[in-house]
Amino acid sequence: MALDGDVTIVVPGERLGSLEQFAAGNGTYSRHGYVYSSLAGLKHVVQGQEKQTISVMREEQESVVPGVGSVVTCKVTSVNPRFCKVSILGVDSTALKEPFRGIIRKEDVRATEKDRVEIYKCFRPGDIVVAKVMSLGDALSYQLSTADNSLGVVFAKSEAGATMVPISWCEMQCPKTMAKESRKVAKVQSQ
Amino acid sequence: MAGLEILSPEGLRLDGRRSHELRKIVCKAGVFSKADGSAYIEMGNTKALATVYGPHEPTNKSKALHDKVLLNCQFGMATFSTGERKRKPRGDRKSTELSMIIRRTFEAAILTELYPRSQIDIFVQVLQADGSNQSACINAVTLALIDAGIPMKDYVSASTVSFVNDTPLMDINYLEESSGGPKLSLAILPKSEKIVLFQMDSRLHMDNMEKVLNLAVKGCKDIYTLLRRTITEKAEEASQFVSLTQ
Repeated sequence: MALDGDVTIVVPGERLGSLEQFAAGNGTYSRHGYVYSSLAGLKHVVQGQEKQTISVMREEQESVVPGVGSVVTCKVTSVNPRFCKVSILGVDSTALKEPFRGIIRKEDVRATEKDRVEIYKCFRPGDIVVAKVMSLGDALSYQLSTADNSLGVVFAKSEAGATMVPISWCEMQCPKTMAKESRKVAKVQSQ
Repeated sequence: MAGLEILSPEGLRLDGRRSHELRKIVCKAGVFSKADGSAYIEMGNTKALATVYGPHEPTNKSKALHDKVLLNCQFGMATFSTGERKRKPRGDRKSTELSMIIRRTFEAAILTELYPRSQIDIFVQVLQADGSNQSACINAVTLALIDAGIPMKDYVSASTVSFVNDTPLMDINYLEESSGGPKLSLAILPKSEKIVLFQMDSRLHMDNMEKVLNLAVKGCKDIYTLLRRTITEKAEEASQFVSLTQ
């Protein structure tokens, strides 16, 4: 099924070439000395050192995964004295189709006075937090950090249920009851 | 049954087909935009709808497998899908068995080791049942998985075969299925002809097994041609759309 030139559409199970001439790349698998396609998409051949590499790609390759250094948007799901668990909802300006799990440790909340941080005075469940990915962590969660002026809580609701207004880097105020609550507030730059 | 012959002396069936002919098959991939992959299939009057979500994080952490993907499958029949209205569309013994059969079939076809600690959800619904429901569901799930971009070894194509008057019948409908004859459901990977599902009801002499099996394999290959055409057309549409925007 050639479209233009040598652009070829392949479907799963189709044999693409011999393992003696080609190496199996993304979207393919090898079996009994041959390379087969495992996706429906376009066939690509790239020259390698010794062999050419065959891979199959689809057009909609838009799956975004948080990497080290990415700025992510999260929602706090649970809080305990040592760390809080968050659900990563977006990476930079892209919303994720499926949420990922992350944790913000007590030591990573701010850069100064690390030993005096109290998690429940920085984050509450339901807050929307902007954080940076420090590492991929263990097998279950990304490790995030808010130790920067531009990172922290960007949206929170008070106990009365109203959206709070940030008044300093460590406080937010409820416009309904005027009560102040402690948070690690992000200094949001206008973009 | 007086007046109802499964196979007439001239070799025609009740709906006018010959013994080796399939019913008309209509298939469509990508019918739901919210799902990662979806497909709709009609095999005669049997209509099935399949959706695929994932790979995504496991909803139940304790069930996550560290070396391969976890397949979750749910089969259901609409209450209006049969002549007598069903009381319970999901969760009865037959649906549970079919869910497990579909899950095992696709565990053999999907490259599961590429997504460790992940989960793929498959939901199949029969909208109208007129025999060969299992085969229609398996074919629909194949299209949905390819639409979702999940790596697979090959298509999985399925067909159902019966045996009447010393003649194997292809793609049986409800009347032929309920007449009490033997019923063989077969799913294969068409390129390598490996069997991923083999299920048989009622009695059949071993001497006739090869005839029935050969017709089932031929049916699977015919269905594979149709499935492949559907995916190829969809891939060409997507490809032309991309080339226009560039």
